[in-house]
Amino acid sequence: MKKQILVSCLCLAMTASLMGGMSVCAEETGLNTEGKLVVGFDAEYPPYGYMDDNGDYTGFDLELAEALCEIEGWELVKQPIDWDSKDAELNSGSIDCIWNGFTMDGREDAYTFSVPYVNNSEVVITAENSGISSLADLEGKIVGVQADSAALTLLEEGGDQADLGATFGTLQQFADNNTAFAELMAGSLDAVALDIGVALYQINRREGYVILDEYLNAEKYAIGFKKGNDTLAEIVNKDLGILYENGTFMELAEKYEIADMVCLAETLGLGEAATEAETEAE
Amino acid sequence: MRFSVMLQQLGQGMLKSMSIFALTLLFSLPLGLFVSFGRMSRNKFLRGAMKVYISIMRGTPLMLQLLAVYFGPYYLFGANIGGGYRFTAIIIAFSINYAAYFAEIYRSGIESMSPGQYEAARLLGYSRSSTFLKIIFPQVIKRILPSVTNEVITLIKDTSLAFSLAYAEMFTIAKQIAAKETNFMPFLVAAVFYYVFNALVAFLMERLEKSMSYYT
Repeated sequence: MKKQILVSCLCLAMTASLMGGMSVCAEETGLNTEGKLVVGFDAEYPPYGYMDDNGDYTGFDLELAEALCEIEGWELVKQPIDWDSKDAELNSGSIDCIWNGFTMDGREDAYTFSVPYVNNSEVVITAENSGISSLADLEGKIVGVQADSAALTLLEEGGDQADLGATFGTLQQFADNNTAFAELMAGSLDAVALDIGVALYQINRREGYVILDEYLNAEKYAIGFKKGNDTLAEIVNKDLGILYENGTFMELAEKYEIADMVCLAETLGLGEAATEAETEAE
Repeated sequence: MRFSVMLQQLGQGMLKSMSIFALTLLFSLPLGLFVSFGRMSRNKFLRGAMKVYISIMRGTPLMLQLLAVYFGPYYLFGANIGGGYRFTAIIIAFSINYAAYFAEIYRSGIESMSPGQYEAARLLGYSRSSTFLKIIFPQVIKRILPSVTNEVITLIKDTSLAFSLAYAEMFTIAKQIAAKETNFMPFLVAAVFYYVFNALVAFLMERLEKSMSYYT
């Protein structure tokens, strides 16, 4: 909020001609530009959205979006965003949705969401030899967290784990998880709180780090649309169903090693197709 | 990711950084001159307005100005800014910011000219505009070049601030590769890229300075 007010004030002071490249919302699909789905994502968020070996943006969510665009005949525009500015990006119409391991819990009032498709948990990583083995051990410690992330909301005042958060020595915010992890390695942080999928990606690539057995919560990922954009949300929900039925969804989940976390089948009430797809994938 | 791919990606980012750099100079250098005229104008309102403009541009962080220019149309007017505005916003924000600094540099140069030169030009029958263009301005450029070089070099490094609008310039790319690779190697490579670019610009500016060192 503070940032928004500052930004607004500054704007008032600057009377430069700011109007350029405006577009009008399309009615039938809820897209900002007809035939073009602009997906906003944090390009530093593997395995959901990141840069691959060839320098292209990829990840579970982006490939899923690609498949969805194929169904609709839309062009997919992968727009990396600064995670801090995601609300402004979405509300100002520069992106159509936030599709990037986006936690819906606690944000229901701020966005229109698709059906949830991944069971996520917020977890804590520490160094193996840190002597921290439970959440209670974090008392007085310095814990890192990504700015504007679900983990932060959880641990801040008003969050479900606010009492735990209050026991920390410091809750230090970072723009991206990679920097937080670098600080953990350098020893200036005792622990990092983040999404389990990203945590797994980080610790699988490094020696000597563990995820605490106690999770901070259980929550769900969904695709976030601008509040009130039900048209687009409905189209995406319908297509997620199609992608599940034709096996694409589970294929991608296997590819990105999050198959045991997905929950699209339960949310869509498609229990049986799930087992079929799993056997196929095996 | 192979090292060659990383270099190629960062190279592409570098091109984008360079385009921010080049376009910013292209717009801010002339704009700065006009702002400095306004700042030295005999018209009280124009002079005041330019003072306020320079004060705001120099008194607030460039990163905040980037956010303001990009998201301003939405927050102020509720406008839908669409997808194509990102780069334009970056160029506008950088140009109006650097114009303020350049304006003060021009002013320092112009005000350092002795009144005797204006008087002599008048006696020789030069009009006001040709006095400025043919006599004053060439000397001003020569005199302010070291200060301009300072700003130009700062600008190269400041292009990295475009990461706050997630524009894929070199620093943004370096951050993304670092996240994928889970190490800091890309930052080291980016630092080398920035340094080489800066060294090149510094070298060229020095050559330019030398070529202008007539009468000394």
